[in-house]
Amino acid sequence: MTEYYTRMGDGKRVTMTKQQIMDDLQAGTADAADMASVPSLDANELEHLAEIIMCQDRVVGVTPGNEVVLSYDIGQLDFTGDNGNSGNGVDMGRLEAALLHERALGADTFELAHSDYSIKPVKPVIAMEMQTMEEVQAEIVAPFFYGAMPNQGLYYAPDGPYGNPADLMREFKIEESMQQSELASAHVTRDIEYVATRLQAAGSDGFNFDTTGSAGDADCVGTLNGVKLLREQCPEAYIQVGFAGESIMGIHGMIEFDGQVVAGMYPHQYVHIAEKAGANVCGTVVNTNTSKSLAFNMARAVTFIKEAVKTSNIPIHADMGMGVGGIPMCETPPIDAVSRCSKAMVEVAGVDGI
Amino acid sequence: MAFESETKKLQDALISCKVPDIAKAVQEAHDAGMPAEDIINALGAAMSDVGVLFERGKLFLPHVLSAAAGMKNAMNTLDDELKTSAGTSQAKGVVVMGTVEGDVHDIGKSICSTMLQCAGFDVHDLGRDVPLKNFIEEVRGGCNFCGMSALMTTTMVGMKTVIESLKAEGLRDNVKVMVGGAPITQAYADKIGADIYGESASETTKKAQA
Repeated sequence: MTEYYTRMGDGKRVTMTKQQIMDDLQAGTADAADMASVPSLDANELEHLAEIIMCQDRVVGVTPGNEVVLSYDIGQLDFTGDNGNSGNGVDMGRLEAALLHERALGADTFELAHSDYSIKPVKPVIAMEMQTMEEVQAEIVAPFFYGAMPNQGLYYAPDGPYGNPADLMREFKIEESMQQSELASAHVTRDIEYVATRLQAAGSDGFNFDTTGSAGDADCVGTLNGVKLLREQCPEAYIQVGFAGESIMGIHGMIEFDGQVVAGMYPHQYVHIAEKAGANVCGTVVNTNTSKSLAFNMARAVTFIKEAVKTSNIPIHADMGMGVGGIPMCETPPIDAVSRCSKAMVEVAGVDGI
Repeated sequence: MAFESETKKLQDALISCKVPDIAKAVQEAHDAGMPAEDIINALGAAMSDVGVLFERGKLFLPHVLSAAAGMKNAMNTLDDELKTSAGTSQAKGVVVMGTVEGDVHDIGKSICSTMLQCAGFDVHDLGRDVPLKNFIEEVRGGCNFCGMSALMTTTMVGMKTVIESLKAEGLRDNVKVMVGGAPITQAYADKIGADIYGESASETTKKAQA
């Protein structure tokens, strides 16, 4: 029986028969459908995913005319960061990185980023960031944003002034834990307003909120409240809200945005709160299971995101990279897997961008 | 099955994650003559269901903790009776948990610590950016499991150093080493000689219980 080269979620090369690939595609779509209560992929869609996986070309792509927008996160760090930080260890200035992405790599948007890539540490260096924003804007043509993670974890002990919910909960201080989450969430909102409005004043075309909800549901609510303020004060800003996973983690469990509990929301649900907050684009994320095959992870990711595309009123840019969107979790994601998952996300999930 | 109705009430109460409801169900079961050990076993089975619901995104961390608090209260209430039943009131094992030196990411590790605690382990959470020698000291102090987390490929190599140090000091056979975190895979766990790789907090807890 013919066996096809494919990969596991940790990037390991394996061979599988068509039947094994189909079985894993079925399992992946069933898992997502069960978790999010969304429709699973139909037989034709699964067959198409199987064809994408079984194609033995090193790199695959979409047909001409079906290309999608490529927006970027992490700014210049994909070059300058070490390989543990999704980077390539190539040192260069932020202006050079921006122009290289625009003129050589086909980036449709790009962003300026602080090396920590979090909102909080930008506050003390905001004047420098504003100056660099002005300088880059003088040369770049593509929409150029500021990008950072809300990263509410930096507001909890030992990094910040608020009690660490995880520590408090282990002592069964559940109410106190929730209260500290709410205080930190409000602080995130204030910092977003401070940083984002100043960068808009310096000429930024918009703001990319990356990994929203990485510290849980209160992080998500704090960010969305910040987005709301930014939208009110800068109506022309182009705002991209990217999430941290396929489900918003319930560290608080009951905190609400616009009257809705956000914990446990899946992509087809969180796109709507992002839109309500004022986002122009929602970045949907599905994390990769390293013990499962590419087929399982691809079908699972496509199932979650297809439903988000179907129900969303704003464009969806799927987060495709190291350990997300069905792509294996390894330092340098293999191009065969990156291109296959990207093609699947465009052709089956119908995303507007990547 | 004896005490079928009480068992169902206990399990429903625990899955509701409401501390007063759990206390009420425990009291009613006790008053009906259900043995303390059976009450705890019934709650323990429901706690596994709570873990599954958490993993599927249907329950959240505060719910899991509330269920665990209800179970802890039940054990305190039934303490005298449980002491006559061998072993039931003892922790399943002592676990040291920490994010390895150089790495400040601790949310995943903290969720894992919480789930282990809820499953009945005595957890010593050392926090994040934990000097590697501290794991060795904890193992020397007598823990059964040594759990290490990392979110960066640059820091995960610390796990290998700890395992090698445990071997060098003759402590490796005293402890099960668990590893996890975004860049960690089963292949990496095998490569460095860890005993348990956890894809998620629930999976880690299940493997520790096995």
